[in-house]
Amino acid sequence: MIFRESQALEPLFEAPPFLDEPVRPAPAPRASAIEVDGLTKRFGDTAADDAVSFSVATGETYGLLGPNGAGKTTLIRMLTTLLPPTSGTARVRGRDIVRDRPAVRALIGTVSQAVTTDENLTVEENLSVQGKMYGLFGRGLRRMIDRRLAQVGLTERRRQVTRGLSGGMRRRLEIARGVLHSPHVLFLDEPTTGLDPQSRRSIWEMLGQLKSDDSELAIILTTHAMDEADFLCDRVAILDRGRILCEDSPAALKRSLETGERTHLETDRILAAVDREAVLAMGGRNWRSHGETAIEFQSRPGEGIGRRAAQHLEERGYRIRHLTISPVTLEDVFFSYTGRALRGE
Amino acid sequence: MKPGATAPKPARGVGLAILGIAAICQRAYLTLWRQPILIISTMLFPLVYLLVLGNSLNRQLRYIPIAVVDESGGAYAAACRRGVMALQSGRELVNAAFLADREEALRGLHRGTYRGVWILPFRLSPKGLPPTFVGDNTDRFSFDALDTALRQIWDEVSRGEEAKNIVSAVRLEAYPYLDYLTYLGPAVVCLSIFMGSMVSGGLQVLEDRMYGYHEGYLVTPISTGALVTGNVLAGTIVASLAGMLVLAAVLMLTPVSVAGGEAVAAGATTVFLTSLAISAIWFLLFARARSASVLRGMFGIINALLFFPSGALYPVESYPKWLQAVSRVDPLTYGLDALRNLLLRGSSPATAYADWVFLLTFALVCGVLTRVLFRREI
Repeated sequence: MIFRESQALEPLFEAPPFLDEPVRPAPAPRASAIEVDGLTKRFGDTAADDAVSFSVATGETYGLLGPNGAGKTTLIRMLTTLLPPTSGTARVRGRDIVRDRPAVRALIGTVSQAVTTDENLTVEENLSVQGKMYGLFGRGLRRMIDRRLAQVGLTERRRQVTRGLSGGMRRRLEIARGVLHSPHVLFLDEPTTGLDPQSRRSIWEMLGQLKSDDSELAIILTTHAMDEADFLCDRVAILDRGRILCEDSPAALKRSLETGERTHLETDRILAAVDREAVLAMGGRNWRSHGETAIEFQSRPGEGIGRRAAQHLEERGYRIRHLTISPVTLEDVFFSYTGRALRGE
Repeated sequence: MKPGATAPKPARGVGLAILGIAAICQRAYLTLWRQPILIISTMLFPLVYLLVLGNSLNRQLRYIPIAVVDESGGAYAAACRRGVMALQSGRELVNAAFLADREEALRGLHRGTYRGVWILPFRLSPKGLPPTFVGDNTDRFSFDALDTALRQIWDEVSRGEEAKNIVSAVRLEAYPYLDYLTYLGPAVVCLSIFMGSMVSGGLQVLEDRMYGYHEGYLVTPISTGALVTGNVLAGTIVASLAGMLVLAAVLMLTPVSVAGGEAVAAGATTVFLTSLAISAIWFLLFARARSASVLRGMFGIINALLFFPSGALYPVESYPKWLQAVSRVDPLTYGLDALRNLLLRGSSPATAYADWVFLLTFALVCGVLTRVLFRREI
């Protein structure tokens, strides 16, 4: 345990990071890339997706979060024309996903959980086969392959047989494959599942690069990695049992929670009952003591209750030996909506 | 976006279909190139088949052990014994033991020491008792050969002197002498096509479905018809490559009589069209299949249903009616017919046209059915 002087704590007394996030300029009203309206898929009696509606604007990144079996993959499959919906509609750039499938297929790119690269082919050959399936050929195809390989950082590996690529490189190749034909909407089904932290980070950065190169590109991604959704998505929807439970920007969702911001505090002597009452009165909840001098409590995010509690205690003559304020994470939001209990499927 | 790097305008319609078909074939070709073991193993099986089956069934029967029991001791029996000895020293068909005791000979038969026992009874004569042949019919080939040869001896002996004046029937062979190895040649080419189309066409389609590669095809704007065509053609490439390599091997290994380069080209065309028809069957069978275990179950059945009825090993005319019916719709029958005409009978390419028409029609029908059954969803 590292003990710090209370004076040294100043920088920590700042607002939780998400409040510091620069307020994104409100996007000018844009054409919607995809509109989903009451989309439902039933398998027998159970509804994998139950009247799901949302829309994603051009250039927006939209995250679908949910536990296993929530209906994310079924939803993606319907939107990518791989599964006919039981009822409801969806349109990609105004094209109906049931009535106008060929047009929809030309407008979208997909990176699914399945292995869609042939491990006997080189990086370049995989892209060449895929490009032709989208109607690219000749010089145009070669130019797009060069461009996408540069974007995903695989130019050096272009002649390598895919079998020899690491998991991260393979995923980058699949993303290059997904955007090869410059789609308007890119579907990413769990893009970083099973990758090491470095590979994940590099894929996030790569996706950011892709979007800055093509400001029109809308991305719909599913994940159950909350940090990923937080990092990548403009808006997220939490999906469970086939329904959307909530939908907003990650920051707004976090701000909407009643508790979740955690304060860890360690003082030089035992806290008097009156001081404890004072902190609780400020809005501290779920109070827990660790030993004699260490306490932990949660509070409503974004109200600086942890910081005010520490100030109050210092004014009362305590010395703060250690203070940590952990901001609310998207995971807290997730659990608050889906619950923590494991469930049989 | 960099200047000059604007997205190229993609092809649509027919252009897209052709590109898609080309892409699927390109992948099959590249896979083959990276995994030469695929084509080698595809070819190895039929070639080993050719060499082992061809050589084991090829030879005349020889040295069949028989016992001759002479209970008569008369002049007819002596003539019969001379006949057997002539069979032994001449055609080397038998390896004869001359025994006195009928019981001992029959015990030997039941122990497998002898394949047949020829008993020349006490009153052996054309007007009295004929010889008796007791044969081990668990081995049909030896039984029939012995029966025929011994009958012939008795015929000659019983006819006596008159037999010498009879002119034997005229027998002409229409084509140069063919051993079984050569007879098998065209069949083995068909076998390699069957194997090639299974390994590359059938199995590849199933693996693509299982591992999800297929999904990558389904989400593209390519039409379902082009997808089916591409997959069938991809299987055809590998199967016909294997078929043509085996055809070349057959041309080199066996003394076939081909009527020039045109006939070889016609043979290659036959191989291609047969591959097309067989690949189309595989894709039709697996239009809805999901896992590779389906193939494991199917392989033996399909092999038996396509290879044997085609007349690859035995003439079709001798089959029962139902099997002949199978044979009539079996594309291998037609591929084999064309190849036999071209390779064994030295016929001109024109003899193959009717077979080609059937093969092409068969592939088209299968293709259309597959297109109907094929599901674009997962």
